[in-house]
Amino acid sequence: MMHHMILNVKDGDVSGSVNEMLKHLLSSAGIEALLVPQAVPSKKTVFPVLISDPKKLHADVFAPVLPVSTAAMVSRMTKVQPSSQPFGVVMHPCQIRALFELAKLNQVKLDNVVIIGVDCLGTFSVNTYASFPEKQNPTLFLLESFVKKTNDSEKYLRTACSVCTDMVPSNADIVIGLYGMDVEHEILIEAHTEKGKKLLEHLQLETGKDVNHRETAVKTVHEHQLKKYQMFIKEKSGLKGIALFAEFFDTCVNCHNCKTACPICYCRECLYESAVFDAEAYKFLRKAQTKGLLKMPQDTLLFHLGRMNHMILSCVKCGLCEQACPNNILLMDMFIPAAERTQKEFSYHPGKDVAEKIPMIVYREDEYKEVGEK
Amino acid sequence: MTQHMDKIGAVAIIGAGITGVQAALDLADMGFKVYLLEKTPAIGGVMAQLDKTFPTNDCSMCILSPKLVDCARHPNIEIHTTTEITGIEGAAGKFSLKIHQTPRYVDLLKCTSCGSCAEICPVSLPNEFDYGLSTRKAIYKSYPQAIPNAYVIDKIGDGKHRCVECGRCEKVCKSGAIVHEQKPLDRVFSVGAVIVAAGAQPFDPIVKPEFGYKRYSNVVTSIEFERILSASGPFQGKILRPSDKKEPKRIAWVHCVGSRDKSVGNDYCSSMCCMYTAKEAVIAKEHHHEIEPTVFYIDVRSFGKDFDAYIERAKKEHDVRYVRSRISEVEEDSKTKNLKIRYEDECGELHEDAFDLVVLSVGLCAAKHKPHELVKTLGLSENVFGFVDSVSFDPVVTNVPGIFIAGTLLEPQGIPESVTQASAAAAKAGMLLRDVRGTLVSHKTYPLERSVEEEMPRIGVFICHCGINIGGVLDIDALVTSTKSLENVVYVDANLYSCSEDTQKKIVDAIHTHQLNRILVAACTPRTHEPLFQKSLREAGLNPYLLEMTNIREQCSWVHMDIPKEATGKAKILIAMAVAKTRQLVPIHTVEIPVNQRALVVGGGIAGMSAALSLADQGFDTVLVEKDHMLGGHLNNIFYTVEGLDVHAFVKEISHRVMSHPRIKLYLSSKIKDVKGYVGNYDTYIETSAGVELFNHGVVVVATGVEENKPKSYHYGADPRVMTQSELEKRLSEMDSRDVCNRETYVMIQCVESRDNTRPYCSRICCMQAVKNALRIKSLNPRAEVFVLYRDMMTYGFKEIFYSKARESGVVFIQYDSDWKPEISLGEHIKVKVKDPLLGSVDIPADYLILSTGMQPPKDTMALAKQLKVPLNSDGFFLEAHVKLRPVDFSTRGVFLAGCCHSPKFLGESVYQGEAAAARAATILASGKLESEPNIAVVDETLCSGCKTCILVCPYKAIDAVEKNVDGKRVVHAKVNEGLCQGCGTCVVACPARAIEQHGFNDRQILSMIKEII
Repeated sequence: MMHHMILNVKDGDVSGSVNEMLKHLLSSAGIEALLVPQAVPSKKTVFPVLISDPKKLHADVFAPVLPVSTAAMVSRMTKVQPSSQPFGVVMHPCQIRALFELAKLNQVKLDNVVIIGVDCLGTFSVNTYASFPEKQNPTLFLLESFVKKTNDSEKYLRTACSVCTDMVPSNADIVIGLYGMDVEHEILIEAHTEKGKKLLEHLQLETGKDVNHRETAVKTVHEHQLKKYQMFIKEKSGLKGIALFAEFFDTCVNCHNCKTACPICYCRECLYESAVFDAEAYKFLRKAQTKGLLKMPQDTLLFHLGRMNHMILSCVKCGLCEQACPNNILLMDMFIPAAERTQKEFSYHPGKDVAEKIPMIVYREDEYKEVGEK
Repeated sequence: MTQHMDKIGAVAIIGAGITGVQAALDLADMGFKVYLLEKTPAIGGVMAQLDKTFPTNDCSMCILSPKLVDCARHPNIEIHTTTEITGIEGAAGKFSLKIHQTPRYVDLLKCTSCGSCAEICPVSLPNEFDYGLSTRKAIYKSYPQAIPNAYVIDKIGDGKHRCVECGRCEKVCKSGAIVHEQKPLDRVFSVGAVIVAAGAQPFDPIVKPEFGYKRYSNVVTSIEFERILSASGPFQGKILRPSDKKEPKRIAWVHCVGSRDKSVGNDYCSSMCCMYTAKEAVIAKEHHHEIEPTVFYIDVRSFGKDFDAYIERAKKEHDVRYVRSRISEVEEDSKTKNLKIRYEDECGELHEDAFDLVVLSVGLCAAKHKPHELVKTLGLSENVFGFVDSVSFDPVVTNVPGIFIAGTLLEPQGIPESVTQASAAAAKAGMLLRDVRGTLVSHKTYPLERSVEEEMPRIGVFICHCGINIGGVLDIDALVTSTKSLENVVYVDANLYSCSEDTQKKIVDAIHTHQLNRILVAACTPRTHEPLFQKSLREAGLNPYLLEMTNIREQCSWVHMDIPKEATGKAKILIAMAVAKTRQLVPIHTVEIPVNQRALVVGGGIAGMSAALSLADQGFDTVLVEKDHMLGGHLNNIFYTVEGLDVHAFVKEISHRVMSHPRIKLYLSSKIKDVKGYVGNYDTYIETSAGVELFNHGVVVVATGVEENKPKSYHYGADPRVMTQSELEKRLSEMDSRDVCNRETYVMIQCVESRDNTRPYCSRICCMQAVKNALRIKSLNPRAEVFVLYRDMMTYGFKEIFYSKARESGVVFIQYDSDWKPEISLGEHIKVKVKDPLLGSVDIPADYLILSTGMQPPKDTMALAKQLKVPLNSDGFFLEAHVKLRPVDFSTRGVFLAGCCHSPKFLGESVYQGEAAAARAATILASGKLESEPNIAVVDETLCSGCKTCILVCPYKAIDAVEKNVDGKRVVHAKVNEGLCQGCGTCVVACPARAIEQHGFNDRQILSMIKEII
């Protein structure tokens, strides 16, 4: 089910042309609202904004910044009750994967949700975006660097984005495609589902045009990224043992921002914020006596181990945890290699297919014989 | 009314192997008093000696032991060991069973199983549990997990080979349990019914000198090899050969030793040897990968559920070499003690191979010495082989009313069949004694529980010396002192034996005197002793779950006996951890769930009818739902048995009983539309031709049967001369000898679209159906020629006799390989081409081609599985809770299965499986209520995110998602069904939000223990 169309870019204004198309969708395709990245008044960042009035739509879908998880916002909207009216969400590929993980865990209801995925050129950290050192607006800078193939934007990318291998959305109803396109003139609009196809029928876009060069371009960029990813894994895989783990987190202030930023983490009350770790003074003193010292707060490492234990199989490598860390702990250095290994262990692909079961609920008699009873 | 008052609500079970144990547990749960009588000093039988079990490779002892403990704990079961039957009087409903009990010389009430006596005993004797491969003392326990958990003194042998009465054990036994002057005891049990589960004996290959057993040290029997494999066996689980205790590399198994062998009078097949051989070879290979197993076999009889797949794995994944050859002799190289086997392969070529160890796969025989004493005493009729004869169509019923038979003394068979028969025999006893159910079981009343919620913890700790077991290693005085200093501990006492009767009184007194509200016992394992201490708490008015135990024996003094100082240090920590948990203990109140005492049976074939009749005869109203317009199921296509009995007459009779039974309501041409509820409380909507009806019931028995596969191959359907076995059977049933006077040729092909990629399982019944129909043809027309082209003849047990008979009457059996399937071409004759390994390619011109096509589950099986939330296996048959020990239970409580929907089987097997399902169902229905498990999981709704992970991981389908309105918002959360939860804890582990916790093992309790050590 692939059905592609071409959106003609007017006057080289890529973002503006996409915005016009979205307006069209919102006003004439029976969609109640669109959740899109849109600049805040200070222009320092963009946030997901739920827009029902086409006149108020000023989406910046290619803005290279992701301050909060879009998937988490869809969860917030649909968890209590699935939407009875259709609404669209413009999402980065990593957020679509997160959305699917949440769906498997019943934390999001996808009824009447139209997923509009954008080809991702990578994002900068919130701080980099807010005080962008180049003279240009970050979106324009990014698009120009993409058009001219200068790699200028690469130095600003978040680690997660610089080693990302899934820049093209695979699970969207509609895809807004950049790779392989002459984006100053043409953008690919592609329906991946029947639902997407029906919506696109409302836009009178050019069809039937050959886009074979896209496939090659996507393949090339994927191969390029895969190399970077593999190098990253190789470079960062050395972290083993509790001592190195402790050193890695030794600047952590136990603020739990990483947990808050994670799109998937879904407990109503975090164990590490409950009274479980409260204890009598003598127990602290006894712990100190055992080793002669006790670093406070004492449950920091346990928190990170617990968080990793809970999240690693579903980790979509979006890097929002790292972005949220006030002390710049390079969480991706640990999470990406760990996610790679554990997900491979269970042949699990988070966010790829909503029908793929989370490993926790799959029982395979033949696995892990080496750790079982002899 | 007056008549049944004479009946006695008690049942004697003779033999306490797995069969007797299962029958005892079923009857005790059904509300009958049970006397479990065992000849040897311990219950458990042969299964206790096995290493692993096929096809799941479960540790045999690990799955058996909990059942043994259940027997010991059950208030309705009395275990009598070293007991034999000397006579019987009376009649069904009221027997006097005379028994003779040989002295144990150890007081069961006093022996704490500490083992000091055996340590000091100077007499070493061959250990019969290890078949003489190891030694034991004259005072001994058969095996570590033995029940009763007590020692016994061997005074049976002559002078040197028995206890010498030196008196050392008496001196060392601190509890005074040794009674050298104990006298034999003769007594009489009054019982309403008797179940014989005495079991058969392993064949002793000494009578087959050609195999060299006992002459050559490296020739062992398969049961001896089980002991060699076992971690608790003579070599601690190392595979060593007896002659030089070296690891053997080349091991040969010789099939059919003492089975299928006229020369020793055992013409029958022993049914389980093919599979245990494969298992032993696989497990041996798993122990040491270098081992090269070779199996010499005649047929591989992998007729049971999932057996074929196991054999395939043995061959392909474990490189077990299978050689089809009958071995005539084993020779020893006197220097190396290696063994030579000469054999002829399928093509007639002679080979000679050397092996380091030879295992004889011995079968079963009824008794070592014929005639069988017990069988004679009870007046049971026996067959020519000495096994107990049963009534046609009803295998567990003997010639003596009120005496039922189950297990291997009925026929050589595997564990699942034995366990099923045990339950079936229990059902029969339950039918006979239904009016006196519950009359002989006692209910103890306890004082009202004191509320402790408002009190601060006041902990009493009882530290056990266990004679010298703990006290001889740990410094108990130091433990008492350190324990006294722990917060909330207000009373500490040390006891010589905490489990003794006088300590129980001390515990009760201390609870009263010191106002204790939580108790810790630091002693041995809760597995055997927890119920005892819980009883003491209840007697003192405390909730029984305010008890905690910590094991300072197995987990401390025994394993650290060489370092007493460090061990005492560890014990201090173990006690401190346990005190930390004890502080957090809260009363647990189990829930009583009312049970609707009616049953639903789905499927009106023989298994379903048998289950329904058994339930109804036990006094439970039953609804039977059949999709067809008539009863009988697949049996309507079967016309006669191999013995010549009229199947249709039997089906007619049973159908009539079902239709006229006042407690059975029958729905024909109906099906299940929807099932709601859970064990004890089901609401089922039955779709009938007249509309939908609602039926409330407490249990479900699934008996939806099978259908014959209609093949796509061999021109079936295109030529009337090509037909299935059932179609042939129908024709034959309509003929008499005048109809078939011609010289006709019948060719039967076995395993058509079976045991291959289409249906990778064996359908169990087709070989026998071929033999049966071949014999029928021969009896109708001796001039007719019958060829049976087979892969392995699955004529197990006594069916082997008919296979022999068929060969003797001139039926020609040609073995073919699955790679060379027979080919046919149609013409005036049907030309059948088959490749015989010996003769090469053979052409047979046939008049009729008969296809044995295997059985398959009906199409609607999957839908019913979904409605009942029960699983199917990969072949589409229903998957029971445990292949070996719970063959008619689903893991979902309250749902049971019987008959061919479990896997294809014979008429008699379906009958007893139906009865077994009824017995298992009756254990739930009998009392009208269910008590929830104490340690069940509970959901904290405020923490639950509704992710449903717990629902998907729960093996008992005990968790549901429920919707709730919180502040006007819809919130989904998980809810545990108290009747279904078995307290396994899987959901607790799966929940990331710790929204589920388990009673008795909650986070606070576990963390408080951990915090004591970090």
